[in-house]
Amino acid sequence: MNVILDTGILLGRFLYYLLESVVYKIIPKGKKSIVGEIVLITGAGSGLGRLMAIKFASLGANLVLWDINQDGNMETCRLAKEKGDVKVFAYKCDCSNRQEVYRVADEVKKEVGDVTILINNAGVVTGEQFLNTPDHMVERSFLLNVLSHFWTYKAFLPAMIKANHGHLVCISSAAGVAGINGLSDYCASKFAAFGFAESLYLELKVQKKTKIKTTIVCPYFIKTGLFEGCTTKYPLLLPILEPEYVAQKIVNAILEEQVYLIMPKFLNVALLLKQILSTDMMIALVEYLGVDTCMASFRGRKKADEGQTETERKHL
Amino acid sequence: MLSRCAGVSQNMAPDLNSAKKLFIFLGKSVFALLEAMVFALIPKPRKDVAGEIVLVTGAGSGLGRLLALSFAHLGSVLVLWDISKEGNEETCKMAREAGATRVYAYTCDCSRREEVYRVADQVKKEVGDVSILINNAGIVTGKNFLDCPDELMEKSFDVNFKAHLWTYKAFLPAMIASNHGHLVCISSLAGLIGANGLADYCASKFAAFGFAESVFVETFVRKQTGIKTTIVCPFLIKTGMFEGCTTRCPTLLPILEPEYAVRKIVDAILQEKLYLYIPRFLYFMMFLKSFMPLKAALLLTEYLGGFTLMDGFLGHKKQD
Repeated sequence: MNVILDTGILLGRFLYYLLESVVYKIIPKGKKSIVGEIVLITGAGSGLGRLMAIKFASLGANLVLWDINQDGNMETCRLAKEKGDVKVFAYKCDCSNRQEVYRVADEVKKEVGDVTILINNAGVVTGEQFLNTPDHMVERSFLLNVLSHFWTYKAFLPAMIKANHGHLVCISSAAGVAGINGLSDYCASKFAAFGFAESLYLELKVQKKTKIKTTIVCPYFIKTGLFEGCTTKYPLLLPILEPEYVAQKIVNAILEEQVYLIMPKFLNVALLLKQILSTDMMIALVEYLGVDTCMASFRGRKKADEGQTETERKHL
Repeated sequence: MLSRCAGVSQNMAPDLNSAKKLFIFLGKSVFALLEAMVFALIPKPRKDVAGEIVLVTGAGSGLGRLLALSFAHLGSVLVLWDISKEGNEETCKMAREAGATRVYAYTCDCSRREEVYRVADQVKKEVGDVSILINNAGIVTGKNFLDCPDELMEKSFDVNFKAHLWTYKAFLPAMIASNHGHLVCISSLAGLIGANGLADYCASKFAAFGFAESVFVETFVRKQTGIKTTIVCPFLIKTGMFEGCTTRCPTLLPILEPEYAVRKIVDAILQEKLYLYIPRFLYFMMFLKSFMPLKAALLLTEYLGGFTLMDGFLGHKKQD
């Protein structure tokens, strides 16, 4: 009897959640206000980080900008201050260095306060075939793209838990849900970032920290220069995304407290197909969509690469 | 007139091209579908691995040991790596008893890049080129994230995943040169879905999965058809690694018997399957996850005992 009752309740709740999700597809969810929140963005000196910073400034949030590139960071600072009457603090920080993350985090806590929205966005792409990628660049991918997330969480999550208030945002990638040719270290790091963020989301759920939200973002390639040279065969299905559009969608997802954001929508279909189709069928689809050749003419961000190499030389 | 006609045919060419591509895609899909249906009924032939050089990391205990013994039965040459000399030599002895004629045991801390390269060079000199690489070594810290010391998390990441980077770098070039090899990644269900109490483990297993999949795509694009990949995602296996962990639904998500898990893994390798999820229910679960609304997915996870999985975790208990 117990089993029947349990199963009955389970099915009932299931149906309720299904209906609820259909409703929310039609009626948009309310957006929360983030006036006065302290938003920390890593990699704010350019690209997606900069765009998000500007949007958050216009929404009335205070900003803490981290980047290894001081010039870029100061520029973002200036642009953000133009947008809104908010406080903006820029710090130089190499997120791949654990001690530096902790040191700068302490400065932030002293000078600004407790970060309430943490956006782990900083990332680097090497874009070579795996065997042609030097070990130190592979290591760097991991240190920056995923291990930095461990350290920023360690630095800022405790205060969020104490206040039972916060939002953790992980900028993963489409390359964090499907392996892509020419991006093996990037894929691995973005997969790891996704898995880490998802794990912590569940950990916080179990600890009943209901007011700490998580958003995990998986965009396909974005036109920010990070993936300069990449191509797509079918722009209708898998477009190379406009940065403005992506930044807006991400900010919306944060304000609506959405947990997963996969862009473009077609990727959701592709991921569903991945679970059903046999390997050969999946390969046929990948070939058709041109995902296997998308990195063929990858050039990447030349300036950023130079900056990184300099840092590596200093560290060696 | 002629140039106008030429102009028209030029405009038509891209359309014809797209149509052609679409037909090729549909054709390939139909063929692949038929092939999948046939192989669902008739089991795929299993390849012969006698004489192949199989390297297993973490061979000193648990799954690694059982994998080594299975390959011993199949007549392969074994190269065993483990950080524990005793465990490794015990596996070596058991493998010889199982009938393996060539077994080589090396003590190696896979989390250290230079050590991996050094021991790999030894293997290349003393044994030959590894043709089946099984990245199996793994550790679990099993602590809640904020309670887990940084060094431990880094170590976990280094052993569970970065070791794969270095072993690939060490052994993949020779496989590519001879267009012959098999890369096996022992990931986990925790490499497909996040789990509480396993943040660093999940991150490392997700990374292992993504890396293996990516390199697979690389080999595929470069038409290196002789190099196979198998990515294994098991639920908990009774090897002592997850001692104390529980499942709420043993019919759908049982804690697997090691012999069963190993049999399925070896089978998948011999059939050159790309993905292996054990138990079978995981395929359905991942399918559901890809479109189910989040709250419904959480409900299902709760029902299956996903949230209480790690509650009784005692830490690694070596099983003899």
